[in-house]
Amino acid sequence: MTRLPDRIVNAWRKSLDFLTGRRLAIYPKTKEEGAFLHAHALARAGDLKGAVATLNGIVATAPDVAAAFEAQGEFLDMLGQTEKAMSLYEASRKLKKGLRPGPPDRPFALRRASRATAEIASYSSVIQNVKHRVLPLIARGNAFLTEGQPAEALVDYEAALKLKPGLPDVLGLKAEALLMLGQFAQAAATFDSACTAQPRNTDFLSGRAIARLALGRLEDADVDWRHQFDLLPRELASARACVALRLADYERALPELERALEKEPHDPYWQLYRMTALGRLGHPLSISFPELKTWPAPLLRLHVKTPSAEELLAQADNRQRKVEALFQLGVLALRDDPAEARRRFDEVVSKASPSMIEYAAARHELVRLGS
Amino acid sequence: MFSVILYGRNDSHGYNLHKRAAISFNAIAEVMSDPDDEILFVDYNTPDDHPTFPEAIQDTLTDKAKKVMRIFRVRPEQHVHLKARTHLVALEAQSRNVALRRSNPRNRWILYTNTDMLLVPRNEKESLSDILGAIPDGFYQVPRFELPEMLWEAAFDRRDPAGNLAKLRDWSKRFHLNQVVLNHMPMRYDALGDFQAALREDMFAIHGFNEEMLLGWHCDSNLAARLGLYRGTVDTLVDKVFGYHCDHTRVAAANNKGRQTKMNDHDQFLWQVSTPYLPDQAENWGWPDLAIEEIRLDRDTSFERFAAGIGAAIQPASEPYRTTNLEWHLFNDLTYDLRHTLPFVCDQVLTYPRNSALMLVGTRADFLSHFAIAWRAMGFTGPILVPTECEGLPFDTPGVEAGSFADLLRRADMFIFEFGLATQGIDEPVRIGRSTAPVDEERLKVASRLFRQAASLEEETRPEGRRLPRRFIGVNVIYNRFWPLFTDYVSANINPFCVQVLAGNPRIDPSMKGKVLRFRGRHAI
Repeated sequence: MTRLPDRIVNAWRKSLDFLTGRRLAIYPKTKEEGAFLHAHALARAGDLKGAVATLNGIVATAPDVAAAFEAQGEFLDMLGQTEKAMSLYEASRKLKKGLRPGPPDRPFALRRASRATAEIASYSSVIQNVKHRVLPLIARGNAFLTEGQPAEALVDYEAALKLKPGLPDVLGLKAEALLMLGQFAQAAATFDSACTAQPRNTDFLSGRAIARLALGRLEDADVDWRHQFDLLPRELASARACVALRLADYERALPELERALEKEPHDPYWQLYRMTALGRLGHPLSISFPELKTWPAPLLRLHVKTPSAEELLAQADNRQRKVEALFQLGVLALRDDPAEARRRFDEVVSKASPSMIEYAAARHELVRLGS
Repeated sequence: MFSVILYGRNDSHGYNLHKRAAISFNAIAEVMSDPDDEILFVDYNTPDDHPTFPEAIQDTLTDKAKKVMRIFRVRPEQHVHLKARTHLVALEAQSRNVALRRSNPRNRWILYTNTDMLLVPRNEKESLSDILGAIPDGFYQVPRFELPEMLWEAAFDRRDPAGNLAKLRDWSKRFHLNQVVLNHMPMRYDALGDFQAALREDMFAIHGFNEEMLLGWHCDSNLAARLGLYRGTVDTLVDKVFGYHCDHTRVAAANNKGRQTKMNDHDQFLWQVSTPYLPDQAENWGWPDLAIEEIRLDRDTSFERFAAGIGAAIQPASEPYRTTNLEWHLFNDLTYDLRHTLPFVCDQVLTYPRNSALMLVGTRADFLSHFAIAWRAMGFTGPILVPTECEGLPFDTPGVEAGSFADLLRRADMFIFEFGLATQGIDEPVRIGRSTAPVDEERLKVASRLFRQAASLEEETRPEGRRLPRRFIGVNVIYNRFWPLFTDYVSANINPFCVQVLAGNPRIDPSMKGKVLRFRGRHAI
C-alpha cells in the first residue's frame, strides 16, 4: 500500500485536531518563552553567539528566570568561554537556592519556587513532536501553574483529559487551576471527582479543603484537612505542621514543627510558626532564631516586641508578606485586645488567597472569637 | 552526602565486564570525600553457589572502593516469583529500590548510575561530594560521553582510578570525546540513566523506581518523567561533571538483541505518565520486609570466613605433601583424606545464606564432627540436620540437630551426602587397596538409600514457600562406585579426582530411564 505524502497526512491531522476541539494554548505567549525557543533554535543551528545574545533579552527583563542564565552558560561553555559560563551556571543556582518552595502540604506542582519559562518552551516543543500524549501536556500545564497562568494550564489539563478521560491525577491538577482562577465551586466539584477515584490522595484533600473553605464551608474543609493530616506519613513533619496550622490547631502543630526544625533547624518559617504556636498555647517563648536580614525576620522580631505594627507593615513589600504580618499582629493581639485581633484577622481574610496558611488560620481564629 | 546505587550479577554481561566494573567502582570511590558516602551494589540473582560479583573481582578493587561498598545480595529464591514475567535475569527497578530502602538515611542525595561509568569532576579540586553538597534541591542529569572500547581496555589501569581520571581529561580533548546528545524533555539527554542524582527524600516520596518495568530499558526515562513532574524540571550538572561510559558492544549483552530487543513499553512508561507517584507499590517497593543479606569487602570477607572455618577444624599440614591414587584396581577403595577434602567441602557451601539449614547424611563420624566445627566458625547460624538413620554419627555435636529423615527432609535448604568408610581413621593412608568392612557396608547402604530418596523427592519435600531446587553436595563420589549413583541423580560437572566433591541440582531426566530411576529412588530400601 502506498504511503500518503506527509503534507496530506499532516493536513489531515490538523483538521482532526480542529474538528475535535483539541486546541492547545496558543504558543508562545510571552516574550521570554519566544526568546527561549528562538535561542535554542539558533544554538542547534550552530549560532551560539546569536543564542547568547537572544537570551540577554530575558536576563535583562526577567532576571529571576534562572534557566536563562543556565542556558547562556551552556552556550558559552560550548564556545569555549568556560570561565564566564561557570559564573552564569553559578548565578542560576544561586537564584534557585534563594527561593522558598511552596508549602509542603500542597501538591508537588505548586511547590516549585523558580520560574518555569524554559519548561513551557521545552514542553511546547515536545507537544509539537510527540502528539497526543498526556505527559508533555501535564508538564506544561504544571509549568503554567508555576508561572501563575492558570487559564493556560487549564487548557493543557483539559487536553490531557480528552486523551485520557477521567484520569484522577489530571482532575486534581485541573481543580488546582480552577482554584487559582477563583472558580471555587467548579474546583470543589472537580476535587470531588478526584477524591472519589483516590480517596486517600492527600494532594486532592488539600485542594478540596481550600476550595470548600473559599466557599464558606469551614467544617467540610476541616474534615478534609484532618483526613489529610492522618494520611500524611509521620516523616513529613513540615507538611503535617502546615495542615495543623491551617486548622489553627496549635497543639497538633507544635510537635510537628519541632520535628520539622530537627530536620531543618535554620528554616525561619518553622521558627516563626513555632513561636506562634507556643504563644497561642500559652507556653513560654524560647526565643532563639537565626540571624536573618531578609523576610520574615521582622515577623520573628515582632515576637520580642520590635518593631511596631506600622513599621512591620511598612516592611511587608508584597501582598503575601502583608498578610503574614497582619496575621502575626492578630495573634499577638489576641491576649490583650480581642477586638484588635478580630480586626487584623478580618483584614487577612479580605486580602489573602484562600490557599495561604494564614487565611485558613485566621478563619478559624475568627470562629473562636465568635465572629 | 550521597549513596551511589548500582546493580548487576556475577555473569558476563556485555564485553569484559570484570575490567569495566573494576574501572568504574574504583573511579566512583575516587571522587567520594564525605564519610557517609557509599556505593550500594545490588547483586541480583547470582546463583547461590557463586560469590557476588564484587567479591569475584575484589582483588582488582582499591582499598577505598572496598571500604565504601555495601553489597546487597538478592538471592535466586527472592527473584523467582518474577521469573515467569521477564526474560531478564537481573531486574533494574527491583535492584535499585532494594538499595534505596537500605541506603544511609544521613545521605541527602542518591546517585543512580551503572557499573561501567567514570564520573569526572570538571574542577580537579572538587569531589563529587563537594559538588552535590553545594547544589540546590533538584533532580540532576548529565550527558553521557562514550569511550571507544580499546581506550579503556588497552590504556586504563583498573587499579589506578586517579590516573584514569587524568587520562580522561586529556583524551576528551585529544580524541574529541565530549559530544552531548540532546533529547526531548524530560529526558534532556540520551543515556540519562548513567547519571541521575535525586534527593533521597524525593525518591521515597515517589515510591522509588517502577517495579512493573520488568522487560528492561527505559527505567531511567520513567524516573525522569516522574521526577520531572515532581520537581517541575530536570536540571543539569554538565558544568560540574562529565560522565564517560566504557562502551561494550563488541559482544551483545543479554538485554541487547538489536532490533529484536524486548523492552518496556516506551509509551506507557514515559509519554503516558501522569503522576510521579506509584501508589500500588507505596508500601512494598524495595521489599522492605525481606531479609536481604549485606556483604562487605573490607570486613568479614569470604576468605576470612573460610580461613576461620578451616582453621577451627584442622591444624596446618606438617608435611609438604601427601598422596592418593587413581589406579584402576583401587576403584573400590573408599578411603579418602579428610583434612585435604574438608576445604573443598567448605568451598561448596560458603556462598550460601548463613541461616541455611543443611542436611548431612554420612558415614564417617570424624567428617561430621570436623565439618560441624568449620560450619560454625564460617559464620553459619543454621542447623546441621542429621537423620538418626545414620548410625554411629555424633548426634550430640554442637550445632547438630538429629531427627528422622522424613521430618528433616522438609527443613533442609541443601544436602551433603558423604560416602566414606566409618571404620577409617583420620590419619590412615588412603587408596592403598582397603576393602569395605560389614559395618561400613551397612552404613553406606543407608546413605545410598537416603540419597536416592532425597534426590527423587526433592521437589515435593521443599520447605514451605521454596520454589527452586536444592543443592546436593557429594563427598567422596569421584572415581568410585558412588560416582555413577551420584551423577545418575544429580547434574554435576566433572571435577578433578583430588577435589573429592561433586555438586549440583537434582537431574531432570524426562526419559523412561529417568522416570524409572526416580521411581526406584522414591521407594529405595
